[in-house]
Amino acid sequence: MANLYHAYGLTFASEIELPELALAPDASQPPQVQISLGAVPPQGLEGGRQISPFIWVSDGQFWLEVPDIARFLVRDGAQIVVQPAPSIDMASVRVFLLGSGLGALLFQRGLLVLHGNAIEMGQGCLVCVGPSGVGKSTLTAAFMQRGYRVLADDVVPINDQGMAIPGFGRIKLWQDVADRLQISTDGLQRIRPQLEKFNLPLGDAFCDSPRKVVQICLLSEHLDDDITQSPVTGIEKFTLLRANTYRQRFMAGMALQPQHLQQCGALAGQVAITRVARPKSGFRIDDLVDALAAQMQGAQ
Amino acid sequence: MGGIYWLASYPKSGNTWFRSVLANFRATGDVPVDINQLNTGAIASSRNWVDDVLGVDTADLTQDEVEAIRPEIYRWSVAEAPNELGYHKIHDAFTHRADGRPLVDDVASLGAVYLLRNPLDVAPSLANHNGVDIDAAIAQMGDKTHALARAKNRLTGQLLQRMGSWSQHVESWVDAREIPVFVLRYEDMHADPIAAFGAAFSALGLPENPQRLEQAIAFSQFDTLAAQEEAHGFRERPSGKRRFFRKGKMGDWQNSLTPAQVAQVIADHGPMMQRFGYLDGAGQPLVSPAT
Repeated sequence: MANLYHAYGLTFASEIELPELALAPDASQPPQVQISLGAVPPQGLEGGRQISPFIWVSDGQFWLEVPDIARFLVRDGAQIVVQPAPSIDMASVRVFLLGSGLGALLFQRGLLVLHGNAIEMGQGCLVCVGPSGVGKSTLTAAFMQRGYRVLADDVVPINDQGMAIPGFGRIKLWQDVADRLQISTDGLQRIRPQLEKFNLPLGDAFCDSPRKVVQICLLSEHLDDDITQSPVTGIEKFTLLRANTYRQRFMAGMALQPQHLQQCGALAGQVAITRVARPKSGFRIDDLVDALAAQMQGAQ
Repeated sequence: MGGIYWLASYPKSGNTWFRSVLANFRATGDVPVDINQLNTGAIASSRNWVDDVLGVDTADLTQDEVEAIRPEIYRWSVAEAPNELGYHKIHDAFTHRADGRPLVDDVASLGAVYLLRNPLDVAPSLANHNGVDIDAAIAQMGDKTHALARAKNRLTGQLLQRMGSWSQHVESWVDAREIPVFVLRYEDMHADPIAAFGAAFSALGLPENPQRLEQAIAFSQFDTLAAQEEAHGFRERPSGKRRFFRKGKMGDWQNSLTPAQVAQVIADHGPMMQRFGYLDGAGQPLVSPAT
């Protein structure tokens, strides 16, 4: 018996329990996506193309292996087959199903997917992008503490109207970030039993309806002690959206590039983009939240 | 044929200097290459490199899981760009997976230059870089379990790098059997840069070009690198206010180490120091290493 869940504006019927996702509000609606447990071919896709040591693609199909954890087959934006590795815990499998697995599915459904976090502000939202480790999750948690609502953590799909689509109501938080923000991890589930990284349920801090992307900030760190902001203009906006797309490699492999370029171009014309650098030593998280909120006010 | 050449070293052993000469040698400009744009390729432990090829976040994997995957990443990167040569810095020791395959992957690797420096001079430089006292730096160099980016409670910018002690690090690379390794002493880079860099570049498969080599060395003089850091900062510098380019001297240990500290380094690393000419026949440290 499959459970019905709701995330990214879609209803999922899943044979795998997904406690991170909300149950579908209306069980009478037919699900758009099926998630099932089953056999996924071990050696990639026959007649497909290998685009990384652990990824194959073919028309409408995406095959991913996370060694010793699971293999995933994502089809036509409507189906995900999961084959867990022997003796792996399901929490570990879910991390990659809900990350790269859903990311590939959203690409197949024609969305522009950015690698970042979306925070509701006023009538719109702010999307923060940047490389892994630059502090996006810390920033999201800090916004949440200040009373802002979060649409998406890590994977931000944006539709053709320039609206960010809400994901699901949790953020992933390292112990160190939790300590810094004085968030207790007692009673929180680890995202995987092997990692000191936790699922923090957003509860009321989850914004569950789409919001217009008003501002995108590219977060980076620098050696100075101050927080600097500089607007991005012209072709550079487009380049930056391309570079901060979630798992660019997937799209190149799935021959979605022409569409992707067009989406980046369209979004670049609609949003303000700013480079924001924070000190490498000493995050100055409160100042950063203030600076971004003030900037957003200016953009709206 | 493409592949990866590794620019391997224990930290504070001249890797940045080497990469600066290499970048200037490969560039065609008539001004020094910006130290923040050396662009000799990502460090082997770059999280972004591995994430991109892997297609999932290494931040959601354990350190052991990531380590097991790394050879595949390098092999794939070379297969994907079969005509490109990459020059990548690496601080990991030359280690092997449980199945015996080298971390740096012998198929992907064309070879390595291993940069080696008198541990008596590494110690004060490392102390400055890490913001610790010299005894702590010496202890780190003797720690057989030492690793960089080993924290498990936070997202580290780079992946875990197992280094071991200074002696283990040196031995792992200079005695690596699976790939050719050209050993280059920091002291030889000082004593006769033209000969030292020239031989290393030849080992890296670069074409001979004495004129450019001379210019690349001139553009990478310590004062030039330090002046660039002074003017624009250096993104590889340690956090806080400490300088990356500090003295760039050899034999400075005579001024900065106590006799007890010198004795400790020799006690920890005597055999390897002897092997590379940093001790005389009687086990006494040499200011100018033997040739």
